Amino acid sequence: MRQIAAGALAAIAAVVLLALSGIAFGHAPGELLSTLISGSIGSSFALHGTIVKSIPLLLTGLSVAIAFRAGVWNIGAEGQFIVGGLACFLAARFGLISSLLASMIAGAAWALIASLLRFWRNAPEVLTTIILNFVGFHLLGYSVNGPLQEARAQYPQTDAVAISLSTSGEVVIALSICIASWFLLYRTKEGLRLRATGFNPFAARWAGVHVNAQIARAMAISGGMAGLAGGIELLGVTHRLFERFAAGYGYSGIAVALLGQLHPLATLLSAVFFGALTTGAGELQRASNISASVATFGQAVVILTLIGLSSRAKRGIP
Amino acid sequence: MQLTNVTKSFGPTIAVDDVSLSVAPGEILGLIGENGAGKTTLMRIIAGEIEPDRGTIDVGGTIGFVHQHFMLVNEFTIAENLALVGAGDARFENSNRLVRDLSVGEKAAVELMKAIAKEPDLLILDEPTSVLTPNEAQKLFDTARELASRGKSVILISHKIREVLSIAIARAMVGERTHVAPPLRRRTTPAESRLYVRNLSVGTGEIVAVIGVAGNGQAELATMLRDTLPRETTAHIPEDRTRDGVIAEMSIAENLALVTNASAEELIATFGIRATGPRQRAGNLSGGNQQKLVLGRELTRSPAIIIAAEPTRGLDIESTAFVHEQLRAAAARGAAILLITSDLDEAFTLADGIHVIFRGTLSERLTPAEAGTRAGQLMAGVR
Repeated sequence: MRQIAAGALAAIAAVVLLALSGIAFGHAPGELLSTLISGSIGSSFALHGTIVKSIPLLLTGLSVAIAFRAGVWNIGAEGQFIVGGLACFLAARFGLISSLLASMIAGAAWALIASLLRFWRNAPEVLTTIILNFVGFHLLGYSVNGPLQEARAQYPQTDAVAISLSTSGEVVIALSICIASWFLLYRTKEGLRLRATGFNPFAARWAGVHVNAQIARAMAISGGMAGLAGGIELLGVTHRLFERFAAGYGYSGIAVALLGQLHPLATLLSAVFFGALTTGAGELQRASNISASVATFGQAVVILTLIGLSSRAKRGIP
Repeated sequence: MQLTNVTKSFGPTIAVDDVSLSVAPGEILGLIGENGAGKTTLMRIIAGEIEPDRGTIDVGGTIGFVHQHFMLVNEFTIAENLALVGAGDARFENSNRLVRDLSVGEKAAVELMKAIAKEPDLLILDEPTSVLTPNEAQKLFDTARELASRGKSVILISHKIREVLSIAIARAMVGERTHVAPPLRRRTTPAESRLYVRNLSVGTGEIVAVIGVAGNGQAELATMLRDTLPRETTAHIPEDRTRDGVIAEMSIAENLALVTNASAEELIATFGIRATGPRQRAGNLSGGNQQKLVLGRELTRSPAIIIAAEPTRGLDIESTAFVHEQLRAAAARGAAILLITSDLDEAFTLADGIHVIFRGTLSERLTPAEAGTRAGQLMAGVR
């Protein structure tokens, strides 16, 4: 209950602070708020925008949540998203299923590099996954400027893929993954072991859990979901790859997962909230000339509020 | 320099036990002993770096101490390092080099120069040759002889007997119990391994106890057994229940489900765990009830082997009796039980056989009666 309350409080705090910050730009808070709401859920067009934004956020949020649940600080959803998109593009000619599978495998493999470095050299994932983000980013940059550049070689982007995924298809896949994540974490023995590893690897080890196997598996699942997010984004939204393809979805996934208290079902709500925030912020930019980066500001407020609440809880302050 | 009945312990470990020692002017005293026998502690007491618990020290002069590990400022030059202690740098050809860039032998020379700069009456050399080439060592010994010939005293610490024989005039040995001049005995434990077990066996229906002063390899023994015995048939009760026993953030039921399919309600009832129910967070249980949760989880499976480390630590009398009863019942069912405990009464009450663990080595198996007379000495390393 406390966790749900903390999440709700953080979300409200973000919206209120955003609205108040409008005063600094000479806008009435109420006016901003209504633009945010109408721009995100006020029309079917806005709603569609929110859904399209929410899907990659949900998948990267789940990716981060699973890894964090196992005690692995996977900050690398961004890079895994990118290589997932790349693999999907390369496998697109083999059909929809194959290309989405390819994106999952690529994301998982990319994430497992960090686990291998953990096991061989005891390198912390929080560093290696961030570094792998840069590697992925530049790999994509090289690809769209070189071997994968469009046939007419005008812009640093690929040609459009031949296959595509409908928004309803995206929704079905994302919701299935969300429910499957919840089932894995809370309804299976392996999920119990995964969470035990995250809470206390020492006690998990004494209870007979193979801690390293759990860490590697969580990382693979996490990377697979972020990679799938990249594949879905390519086939469903962008249809081509370009340098800014990932658009920060991987990093935003951290905020989504934290607001969702690392619970898959709450992460769904959290993803929709951030999706709406991002879409609404776009409308804010068009209507009131306020930069759409207020959405990022909202993420920061959410994370800081949650940190404040959690440290209060740890000190025993109600 | 005269040392009388000096004793020093660090926690439960007695580093120096009732040592008397003297060095006359012009004498080079060789001090021999194994790693960890207490040589360095003894010297640091003489140098006044640590206070002994008991005993008197009469130094009767100044002391120069060359430590086993270099005490030099790496980012300073030779001259700067020497200036720190008010020594001159006349002996060095180029004293503007950084210590960082010196060879080990050169660093040792700087250390020695620091120590003898103020013409101490007593020079202590702690394992000086372990990092030196034979040539460099020879130079060091020449310096020591030269000092002795001028009426100074030198104490040379080493674990290389030959080296000490070659230079020392008087000799003292620091043995396992840090008595000066008992016969020197080699330890059976290989130096690298922290644990050496070859004579441990627990029969069906037997309770065998391993007792000893904490930190002598008990944790390593339990961990080794955890990593080698099959988990399906082995119960583990880890020593550190808050770190290794329960997962505080999870419920009682979840902690249980990690290991067994037994019902949480039944377990709470049988083991008398004071809890609001199976969904209570394990971290909110009291220490004793957390211990009961671990015990219950491990014992309800009727395991063939039970490794119980400090199973009753922190439990009240009633709970302790209950745990003992459970262990006895498990033995009666045919389980082989290894009890690792620092509670001697517990060992004597429960065990069919007792091993004493000391510095990673197990003693031979003793009957409880034998252990009653010999355990104390064995725990301190006397055979």
